[in-house]
Amino acid sequence: MRGMWELRHGTRELRGAGRHFVYLAACVSLGVAALVAVGSLGRSVERTVAASGRTMLGGDLEVRSSQPLSPASEAAIAEIAGSGAGVTRIRELAAMAQPAAGRDHRTLLVELKAVGPAYPLYGRLETVPAAPLPDLIGKGRALVQEAVLSRLGLDVGDVLRIGGADFRVAGTIASEPDRAVGFFTLGPRVLIAESDLAATGLVQLGSRIRHRALIRTTPAADVEALRDALAARLGDPGLRVAGYRQAQPGLRRFWDQLTTYLGLTGLVALLVGGIGVAVSVRALLRRRLATIATLKCLGAPWRRIFLAYLLQTAALGLAGSVAGALLGAALARVLAPALSRLLPFPLDWTIAPAAVAHGIAMGVGVTLLCALPPLAEIHRVPPSLLLRHEVEPRPLGWRGAVAALPMAAGLSALALWQAGSWKVGALFIGGFAGGLALLYLTARAALAGARRLPRLRWIAWRHAVAGLHRPGGHAAAVLVTLGLAVMLVVAVALLEGAIRAALSGPSAARAPTFFFIDIQPDQAPAFARLLTDRTGAAPTLNPVVRARLAAVNGEPLSRDTGRRDEAWYLTREYVLTWAAAPPERDVITSGGWWTSEAAAREPLVSVEDEIAKSLGVRVGGRLTWDIQGVPITARVTSLRKVDWRTFGANFFVIFSPGALEGAPATFIATAHVAPAEADRLQSAVVAAFPNVSAIPVREVLERAAQLVDQIALAVRLVAAVSIVAGLIVLAGALSITRHERLYQAVVWKALGATRGLVARTFAVEYALLGAAAGLAGTALAAVLAWGVQRWVLEVPWLWQPAALAGGVAGACLLALAVGYLGSYRLLGQKPLAVLRGE
Amino acid sequence: MVSIAGLGMRFASGGRAVSVLSDVSLEVPARQFLAVAGPSGSGKSTLLGLIAGLDRPTAGTITVAGADLTRLDEDALARFRLDTIGYIFQSFHLVPTLTAEENVAVPLELAGERDALTRARALLGELGLGERAEHYPVQLSGGEQQRVAVARAVARRPALLLADEPTGNLDSATGERIIELIVELNRSLGSTLVLVTHDAALAGHADRLVTLRDGRIVSDEMNPSPERSRLGGERTR
Repeated sequence: MRGMWELRHGTRELRGAGRHFVYLAACVSLGVAALVAVGSLGRSVERTVAASGRTMLGGDLEVRSSQPLSPASEAAIAEIAGSGAGVTRIRELAAMAQPAAGRDHRTLLVELKAVGPAYPLYGRLETVPAAPLPDLIGKGRALVQEAVLSRLGLDVGDVLRIGGADFRVAGTIASEPDRAVGFFTLGPRVLIAESDLAATGLVQLGSRIRHRALIRTTPAADVEALRDALAARLGDPGLRVAGYRQAQPGLRRFWDQLTTYLGLTGLVALLVGGIGVAVSVRALLRRRLATIATLKCLGAPWRRIFLAYLLQTAALGLAGSVAGALLGAALARVLAPALSRLLPFPLDWTIAPAAVAHGIAMGVGVTLLCALPPLAEIHRVPPSLLLRHEVEPRPLGWRGAVAALPMAAGLSALALWQAGSWKVGALFIGGFAGGLALLYLTARAALAGARRLPRLRWIAWRHAVAGLHRPGGHAAAVLVTLGLAVMLVVAVALLEGAIRAALSGPSAARAPTFFFIDIQPDQAPAFARLLTDRTGAAPTLNPVVRARLAAVNGEPLSRDTGRRDEAWYLTREYVLTWAAAPPERDVITSGGWWTSEAAAREPLVSVEDEIAKSLGVRVGGRLTWDIQGVPITARVTSLRKVDWRTFGANFFVIFSPGALEGAPATFIATAHVAPAEADRLQSAVVAAFPNVSAIPVREVLERAAQLVDQIALAVRLVAAVSIVAGLIVLAGALSITRHERLYQAVVWKALGATRGLVARTFAVEYALLGAAAGLAGTALAAVLAWGVQRWVLEVPWLWQPAALAGGVAGACLLALAVGYLGSYRLLGQKPLAVLRGE
Repeated sequence: MVSIAGLGMRFASGGRAVSVLSDVSLEVPARQFLAVAGPSGSGKSTLLGLIAGLDRPTAGTITVAGADLTRLDEDALARFRLDTIGYIFQSFHLVPTLTAEENVAVPLELAGERDALTRARALLGELGLGERAEHYPVQLSGGEQQRVAVARAVARRPALLLADEPTGNLDSATGERIIELIVELNRSLGSTLVLVTHDAALAGHADRLVTLRDGRIVSDEMNPSPERSRLGGERTR
């Protein structure tokens, strides 16, 4: 049967090179492990969200808005939901909580949620004590998270003041089904009945409140169709209509991006392994030249021999990938706890069959593609090699580059598959190819430079340098793979350091202690006086008006305007302000600030440059805003670059003075006080202005830093996989030149060299290799990190000598360790036996 | 069986062209046992390799069993070797990762024969290597390895048997037995045999002796009394 010989021969050939096969499988398995682990976790989250979408959303359908729903919208909801459906309303806002009078002056920023009688439509609100919700809230009662009690020194049964109303704490919340974001909240939850919200006095014109209408449809209803119908009826792009399948969109997007990033990091490990595969297959074929020539001599056409080795490589890739999938299960076990802290619900993770299949397909694909160029050289092995040994295949030259094209195309396709988007995939391919090319050129330059290194009298040095050019050696491949892995790990460390520094460094230290929001206009003078008394400095109060974008350059926004990933620019709630002069730290990048005369003629705006780009508006363009139903159109006169790192009061959009006159404005203010004074200031503000919320900025920054830590742990774990893959490539390359090194060792010993001298020579060679890879990888990492910091994160370059030195020293030490493990047995070989060829 | 006309072969070596064969013409009728002798470097092995289609001549034509080798592409040459040629090398060239029987089975399997391994084992049994069938080359003596190579060469009953110094890596007694075996098998298969040797005694067994020197045929003589009796007589099967 056709194909049988190829299969048989490929299988029989497996016997002869156990070391090669174990190495090849190991190269593949690590990358596959990373992909399977990351893929499984990603799919587990997706599955959990999909399975409990109704609970997480709180209904089958949700209409969310930053403004109260209009009667027309309410009517549309009632009509679409139809008879038999359940509807409940929720309002969420930030508020200050404090013990009722008579206690000490502790205060706490909480997330207040006022729920209607039918809440929750799905899932269970677990409380202590367990009782029906109407028995726990309403009539001045509240449920709180445990943290509220501990931070305010209260017990169940005590009285809590929120805004202008007192609530008796009826119990604690153990779990809340529809808590939107678990990992990033302003404060713990306080749950009250909707009927009690008005008494707090927190609902005022311009207050920051999220309004949610939750709908439970009849069991027979088609939720997606209803969602579309409702969205069409509501029209207003500022209303977000979601079905339960779209629950937690922010979380999903965040998780998608995280797993895409981690998956691509895993792909780097797999590609590093792919280089190992190419090195290994090339080395195997070098040893099999006589066998291939013999087979050709016996009448095997090259395609059949090629197919035999291809099948063999595929089988090894499959074995390595299956082993990798098993390893991936173990890796997921380590990654899951680190990542599940980022989720608002317990992650019930399992190894997803789809992720396993994907990982194995990627593993086999990368193996075959990387093995293709060396295997194609089977064609060029002449059968006459058996007659004349000097007839070795000539170097391919430019044909080599052509032969690599199918591999490059195939690997690009796999990268696109892994990335899941053209844009991210293209960025990855470009970055990876660029990094690879730079590393390769660096490796070639380093090797060429090594020849020109000063010929020291130290004999170990001289021979180590010569050893880098050993025939059949793979110094360039080792430099590229190890360099690539070092680049990845060092770049991650540098970026992590830079982000951490931005969150806790000098600019964070300059950040205000508090951000006060929702100061009513009539409270502003008294508020300013209080802050001046307490902090010794007069605060700047910025007026703010909450608004939605209604039209760009006269073109009204409809619900389907813009692409999905851009939609937030269009539908978010904008916090508008006005000012006579540009903010001190902002830089005008285009256009000019208005004069008072110009401002008097028509409404003018200055827009932050990035968001202007997203909105597609330039100087001279027009933006129309909807402020509580009143449209205001303003001409763009300037674009600004905003330094967001000040963590102060920064604005996307600033209006000319007078343009927003009559709009419902509130004020925001910032305050700097010593940490010891912070609690006292907060208490004083809350006592005087119970409706004003104080957001502790440093606490928020600390929480962001913790978030970075958790993400960084996962990223480092996956990046470390590529370091291990790089070391396996190094170990494999050493094992490939084992015979040459063994021969070198025994010839030296036969000539009178001590074992110590041979060991030193090898050690210097490995250390040089590691140092070169470390230097090249670290240098590229610095360039990469600098670029990302400059253009993506927009944080200043941070000089991190420890990370940079660690990259070089770590690569050097690891290469030395792996080299020693791979060579120490050679040192003990008896010269005579080896020289006689025994 | 073999028709060679104006054959020339040049190699580039160290930047200059070296002529290995020049203007060699030769006719080998079917069933003839031809010995090609000559000193080292005279072009014997190259001539044999060209007859097997392992390489392409730089001048002249070679026709074997009706096929003009200079007109065949690589795949057709491979097919030609599989169907027509049995090749025995001085250094055996067994595949080290295959057992003796698997080595013998390779040409049978390439030809798609179903019971390749069974036939290979039977053939090894006939050559007195039945016990060694599952051994790897490295576990066999030189003589045993060459017998495995002979078995592999004759496995498909080729019309043309080519042997390149088959005793060169063996001691004289073992070498003698190998030559007996080849000659005997050649006779029983009714094939044509071209044996390259620099050993005059071995060449004495052939029907015809061609001597090469510096890439040219310097003598071509028929052997009136080849020493067949001793060779054939001692061999028992």
